[in-house]
Amino acid sequence: MNRLNLIQKTVMSLILSAMVITVVVPIIFFLSVSFSNDFEMNQFPKNLIPSTSVTVKVAPTEQGLYEIFYNNGEGYRSIITTANPIKLETFFNRQFAVTIPGEQLVEQFSKTKENGPMEFKLKKDMFYNFKQFFTIATKAKSALVNSILVSIYTIIISLTIGSLAGYAMARYNFKFKETINVTLLIVRMFPVVGISIPMAILLINFGLFDTLLGLAILYSIPNIALTAWITSSIFVGINKELEEASFIFGANSFHTFMKITLPLAFPALAASSMYAFLTAWNDTISALILTNQNQTLALVVYKAIGTSSSSIQYAAAGSLILIIPALVFTFIVRKYVNQMWGGVEV
Amino acid sequence: MNKKAIPYLLLLPTFIFYAVFWLTPVAAGMKEVFIDINGNFSLTENFKLMFQSELFGQSVLNTALFVAISVVLQYVLALTLAVLLSRKFKGAKTLMFISMIPMAVTPTAVAILWKTGLISDGWINSTLVTLHLIKEPISFLSADGFSALLLIILIDTWTVTPSVMIILVAGLQGMQKEFKEAAYSFGADKWRIFRDITLPMLKPSIVTSIILRLIAAIQVWAIAVMVLGYSKVPFLVERVAFYVDAVPGLETSRKLAFTLSFTTTVIVLIVSLIYLKVTKKSSAAGGKK
Repeated sequence: MNRLNLIQKTVMSLILSAMVITVVVPIIFFLSVSFSNDFEMNQFPKNLIPSTSVTVKVAPTEQGLYEIFYNNGEGYRSIITTANPIKLETFFNRQFAVTIPGEQLVEQFSKTKENGPMEFKLKKDMFYNFKQFFTIATKAKSALVNSILVSIYTIIISLTIGSLAGYAMARYNFKFKETINVTLLIVRMFPVVGISIPMAILLINFGLFDTLLGLAILYSIPNIALTAWITSSIFVGINKELEEASFIFGANSFHTFMKITLPLAFPALAASSMYAFLTAWNDTISALILTNQNQTLALVVYKAIGTSSSSIQYAAAGSLILIIPALVFTFIVRKYVNQMWGGVEV
Repeated sequence: MNKKAIPYLLLLPTFIFYAVFWLTPVAAGMKEVFIDINGNFSLTENFKLMFQSELFGQSVLNTALFVAISVVLQYVLALTLAVLLSRKFKGAKTLMFISMIPMAVTPTAVAILWKTGLISDGWINSTLVTLHLIKEPISFLSADGFSALLLIILIDTWTVTPSVMIILVAGLQGMQKEFKEAAYSFGADKWRIFRDITLPMLKPSIVTSIILRLIAAIQVWAIAVMVLGYSKVPFLVERVAFYVDAVPGLETSRKLAFTLSFTTTVIVLIVSLIYLKVTKKSSAAGGKK
């Protein structure tokens, strides 16, 4: 069964190709932007792949200066005339992401005095935008550390508290079980933005305002409920006999939970930790309200976007740094998360 | 140890955590909603303030349109992709992986990605001009009204469709083939099988993913602000963020932020409950796949 005729096959390939283009093209352009220099950013139409070097034409002037010409696709244009090494260095740095010391540039260009106008191919510093992001956003380095720490705290708080609740929900029948279930759902529905302001006052009272622990507590609010939700659905499926066997051999409840049940529930915990991580890693608005000095990386990048669209390549580089740990983490736990969703093969 | 006490003991940390860090701020927030600017108790004063506030009507309308259009659009796309990708063919796994990439892109990065595309010398115009589809660059970012809303819906769809798709794929893979085969042997065509067998069996997955989408869609704001800026495409939660972030410190800002987030929560609760009532199968929304 399930054989497709030619028309159906064509339609299917068309839909899938459209999907691939819609996903891949923006990603490639985004990567391209992160590695582009100022001239490439203003170039139109743009190249899909950013260049690794810059070619300029240099002509000596009668005053002993160098006139630099650049071909932006519409022919050569004079862009700067100077012999000052500092000026040259700054210019090539800012506009071309070429980080060659000014003296070296002057030395190279001096050949033109004998040979006449020459073309120079200069190597572009591919990581210029990344360095620039950390230079402009002075807090970015400490923010990166903060983001990692806040994520770890959030995972620890959510998983320890949430998995205990999930176990109780799955294994025991007790009064108010339904009420608690609904309450957990309501907690998750509450817009975090709304809690953030009164939370700030609460944290000030506890002396936790502008601390990483304070932020982690806020991020744990939806994630404790989510962890309870996810783990309870897994605990239901874990064989009870194993636990009973453990009881027979004299282990108490707590011991059984730690030694038998918890390891079996690992996929659920991996999935929960991924959601906890992503909440802490991606949030901007709560970090904006609850921190002052101890910002997270997402917030620093958010602020770097600003309102104008100039120098957006630095923000793009910053957000690429932001994506990489999220990708790595997602990739590591993907295997376990797939088990959660009924073994979707990816 | 008393056996009856065990579940309560296990739940105790959760109770304590939520009592201190959730109930207290929520109660404080609720109190703010019903105390007016002059410090007097009033059931309606802050809501009047909210109704009269700038762009409130627009934000309600936008949120409603956003939820309706985006959920339907993302559903049609996710279901189509899920059905196609769960067929067994060469390269299906690779395609599945590609389709899931947008899920892993951080919201802030999504905003920058599309902003670099939408500026007038950005990569979207660049591609369209190179392909000779348009002559002059379109200034996407100066879009307003419905077209700006549509822009946000499309960006959101790019980001969110994979997470809907993956739940549906899981549902499709867990489905027993025997039913389909039986229907085939009784002469049912593909469309009937899809409508009468696949869709009903997929229902729990659909209910779960729609409820998650509804909760998230009603609270949309970040993409709109990061791509277009505040007040361009006002949404309910965008207004909350606006009063908290853009005009903080004012007493009316505080009141409006609290009242708006209270209202949003009530709307989320009502919509979710109505949806669960309509689909009845409420256990599916309990997270059990």
